[in-house]
Amino acid sequence: MAESTIELGREKKFSFKDKVMDMLPEGGNLNMCLTCGLCSAGCPATGLEGMDPRKFLRAAALGMDEEVTTTPWVWTCTMCQRCIYACPMKINIPQLVYQARASWPREKRPKGIIGSCDHALRTEGNSAMGASTEDFKFVVEDVLEEVRENQPGQENLIAPINKQGAMYFLNQNSREPVTEPDEMVPLWKILNLVGADWTYGTVGWGAENYCMFAADDEGWEKIVRDKVKAVEDLGIKYWLNTE
Amino acid sequence: MTLSEVVKVDGAMGNFTVTVQQNPRYIDMEKCIACGLCAEKCPKKVPSEFDYGMGNRKAAYILYGQAVPLKYAIDADTCIYFKNGKCKACEKFCPTGAVNFADTAKTVEVNVGAVVLTPGFKPFDPSIFDYYNYQQLPDVVTSLEYERLLSASGPCMGHLVRPSDQTEPKKIAWLQCVGSRGINKCDNGFCSSVCCMYAIKQAIVTKEHTTGDVSQTIFYMDIRSHGKEFEKYYVDAEKKGIRFLRSRPHTFIPGKEGKGVKLEYVDETGNLFTEEFDMMVMSIGLEAPASAKDLAAKLGIELDKYNFAKCSSFDPVQASKDGIYVAGCFQAPKDIPQSVVEASSAAAKASIALAEAKGSLAKTKTYPAEQDVAGQEPKVGVFVCSCGINIAGVVDVKDVAEYAKGLPNVVYVENNMFTCSADTQVLIAEKIKEHGLNRVVIAACTPRTHEPLFKDTLREAGLNEYLVEMANIRNQNSWVHANDPVKATAKAKDQVRMAVAKVSLLTPLEYLSLDVVQQALVIGGGLSGMTAALGLADQGFETVLLEKTERLGGNAWNLNSTWKGEEVVPQVEKMVQKVESHPKITVYKKAELKTCVGSVGNFVSDVSVNGETKVVKYGAAVVCTGGKEYKPTEYLHGQDQRVYTHSEFDALMRKDSAELAKSESVVFIQCVGSREPERPYCSRVCCTHSVESALKLKKLNPNMNIYVLNRDIRTYGVREDLYTEARKQGVIFVRYELEKKPQVSKQGDDLIVEIEDHILHRPLKIKADRLVLASAIIANESKNLVELYKCATNSEGFLTEAHPKLRPVDMSVDGLFLAGLCHYPKPIDEAIAQAQAAVSRAGVILAKSVMPLDSIKSVVTDKCDGCALCVDTCPYFAIKLVSYADEDGREHKRIETDKALCKGCGICMATCPKGGVNVMGFTYNQIKAQIYSALQSA
Repeated sequence: MAESTIELGREKKFSFKDKVMDMLPEGGNLNMCLTCGLCSAGCPATGLEGMDPRKFLRAAALGMDEEVTTTPWVWTCTMCQRCIYACPMKINIPQLVYQARASWPREKRPKGIIGSCDHALRTEGNSAMGASTEDFKFVVEDVLEEVRENQPGQENLIAPINKQGAMYFLNQNSREPVTEPDEMVPLWKILNLVGADWTYGTVGWGAENYCMFAADDEGWEKIVRDKVKAVEDLGIKYWLNTE
Repeated sequence: MTLSEVVKVDGAMGNFTVTVQQNPRYIDMEKCIACGLCAEKCPKKVPSEFDYGMGNRKAAYILYGQAVPLKYAIDADTCIYFKNGKCKACEKFCPTGAVNFADTAKTVEVNVGAVVLTPGFKPFDPSIFDYYNYQQLPDVVTSLEYERLLSASGPCMGHLVRPSDQTEPKKIAWLQCVGSRGINKCDNGFCSSVCCMYAIKQAIVTKEHTTGDVSQTIFYMDIRSHGKEFEKYYVDAEKKGIRFLRSRPHTFIPGKEGKGVKLEYVDETGNLFTEEFDMMVMSIGLEAPASAKDLAAKLGIELDKYNFAKCSSFDPVQASKDGIYVAGCFQAPKDIPQSVVEASSAAAKASIALAEAKGSLAKTKTYPAEQDVAGQEPKVGVFVCSCGINIAGVVDVKDVAEYAKGLPNVVYVENNMFTCSADTQVLIAEKIKEHGLNRVVIAACTPRTHEPLFKDTLREAGLNEYLVEMANIRNQNSWVHANDPVKATAKAKDQVRMAVAKVSLLTPLEYLSLDVVQQALVIGGGLSGMTAALGLADQGFETVLLEKTERLGGNAWNLNSTWKGEEVVPQVEKMVQKVESHPKITVYKKAELKTCVGSVGNFVSDVSVNGETKVVKYGAAVVCTGGKEYKPTEYLHGQDQRVYTHSEFDALMRKDSAELAKSESVVFIQCVGSREPERPYCSRVCCTHSVESALKLKKLNPNMNIYVLNRDIRTYGVREDLYTEARKQGVIFVRYELEKKPQVSKQGDDLIVEIEDHILHRPLKIKADRLVLASAIIANESKNLVELYKCATNSEGFLTEAHPKLRPVDMSVDGLFLAGLCHYPKPIDEAIAQAQAAVSRAGVILAKSVMPLDSIKSVVTDKCDGCALCVDTCPYFAIKLVSYADEDGREHKRIETDKALCKGCGICMATCPKGGVNVMGFTYNQIKAQIYSALQSA
């Protein structure tokens, strides 16, 4: 951030922060900052891009909209919410970050995140990896078969797909079937051990939603709606999303 | 009434019936002598709640050594007998038969005219913040636990060790505002007012409880050292090397090997640091106890949103119902001096309410005529106490008694199981008569607790009460020499021999008393002075109120509202009217104190009233000479019309708020003239005032840009809500350091304030329509008063109290009290509470026409040659030099002591090189006899 003088004074402008406050219950408490630094102490993105949550909020409070809406720091936030969790004033910094992201032209947003969002929008399973449902189905069945054969005591392990009327619809982060297929197994075992009546689906099976991280509200909503529809189409009571 | 709870309260002011449930103690308070044997023999160990579970107590216990009344109790919830029907070890070993397992709860009705509520606070439980891992990390403790770890009577005997491995911590940190100033997971939006100071104190004294090589860090948001002498303490702590870090860490994780704490924090420039501490102390806040709501419901009084009692600023200890008063943290979190002030204030309110009935239930004790022992040979009786086995378990009391029989002048000796018991008192009186005893030695415990009892026994038996001497063979002998009974017995003999030597020389002392002028003087007619005058007059004391100007009311006329939003001026008008029409108050305006003679109970002063001299006689005086706003020369004040002080800005607000509403940008600068080398104190009221003004401006014009430039925001107590609200409404707070103050300049027509932002570290340039300077409060000139009364001020000119914590409204001179700004800057509610407290304290002196005095006083002897050495050393100004003429008409000088002021401390006697002054009851001869006797061997 440049060291130039910040001019304050008479004119009252409707700042970016004010805009965000209008959207949030209690204005997200965005005005309440005690500048204690607790958010920044707990933030994994502190110090990246010369920014931290406290500075970011302070810049917003001082009406420095240019800095707030252009700092690439907002893309380093993991949306983990550690800041709001412990902030003595419960300030909704994550929402401020989200809205700052949303203010970026879509084409300027980080390619990786936008790409993942686009993949999800394009694929039947909403996979950010762009994995097809056929591949997902094949990998699940293949891994299941291998476990049943090679792991004593797991002969009856199941990983149902599209089981109509099951109790739980389980999403699967598509990174696993694509790069770490064996990582899917422990959860199957747990679900079987407790006797859960669960299933994967061929539609909307991807657990991740990069459109949220991309601050693409429309895409985010579409993906959520697609997934909910998939759950309802199978007549399933609970949707389990492990993300 | 201990172990008691209020069940219900009926009636109204003047006639309440309070139903109290008194829970069983299972120990008869009359019989218990607090020897501690029950606890010693009790086999059941229970975590001590006083040590927050870090140490143990027994099921038969006292909570702590200073418990009042010092009587043991049995905790039925953990007692083995109550659980299994067996044990009763305490009963078996109790030497006085005080244990009573059949004790039951009793319901008692108490008829009272007024009720004072002081249920205190509940320490905040930090378990709620999972990220601090208080429950999981042994070396994360609360400040109260830490206090116990530092205490000599605590679980590690005051030699600090950390809980995880019982080793001495070398690196300790404090985290402020745990359970205060937070609305996330806890709803304590208020500031607890005391934690900054106690953390600084703990950090400083930690050094004395460790081997010395220790570092202390305080993580904080604002340091709130807003009390008298507090700011200097804070600055001193920094000089002593305490590290103050303005930062809140996020999460505590275990340090190396699971001990201590590891945390991350950012400094003020945003750099992230990881640091380990051996121990972490959480400065927990003070919240309303869970029982507060219940108690309030029973009494029908209102609480605020934090469950503190609702009170008005103008009647700060009055609950929402007549006849019910509150004090201490039940009203809002506060420190000791303020709590003590409020307690006295509540006492004053209650005594005003009950003024009509004053003395109607008092009884006077009568004694038989005293026999004249002058000229009689000393006939000494010695009573040696066994104190159960407390003394007898170590000291061979029979041997001591036998020994005493051979001492000079001793005619009667007896050994008692408990010399202090009621039947022994009867026995002592009988023996005095039977054997014609004219001196008594009690070889038992400390005179501090028991001398009044034996004095009374002597009076009952017709002896002057000053003919008794105690030898403390318990506290100073058996308790400290438990491992060496032989030497202890020898020492007890020495002690008894010394007491006999002294008692033989004791003479009856005249019972002294003082005629009290039951009238009061109040100096200063501001809010404090008027409150004091009204309180005194409402109790029936004729009161003279001096005001130096021609108008009562003082600074209050310049204030718009209190921090609670109550309008000030109508209240002042009401009060002035009340004072001026009160039949017991004489108001002298344009008045000045000119002289003062006399002392407590009997002062006489010449007062100049509008040039005319009047004589005022009074038994006590309340000094309320006030203070004023510092007129700044900095920040263009006086040079640019747009720059105001708070009182100037308040005046503008009253005069032309419509014009003010047109302002688009207003800047406040805090600590103007305060916390500076020439005025190193915090003016206490300015932060709240600025925040309050900012909120008023926001109300006038919500779009106004408001900036408050500060060094710390010190909106202590529930005032914090104002600060929170100001931020909520968009007021911007910018912090600056003393070394980097804001710059104010005129650039063209613009008033420009420049400052560096404390977070972004970039220069801010603020165009201000108006600039308000939160300037210091300074004390009014009091040099004349200080000279007349021989009282004192601190280095900043504020009058000094007798004890900053325990006697916060008494001045160092007896009979003088103080209240308001002359003592220290304070808001209206605190000034009024202090004035009411002064009323209560002065009332103690004025209540009776005759005040009994102790007879241990210094008296001049014929050896005094008037050298006056003692005049300067007397800490109570009780000695003066007078002239007298001898038979030949030659003039000499000698000292004269004032019985009312003398405390019998003996400094004069120790100073005098020629035996010219003696303290009765501790004369040279008496002490010399004791010392010679000590040097003899048994």
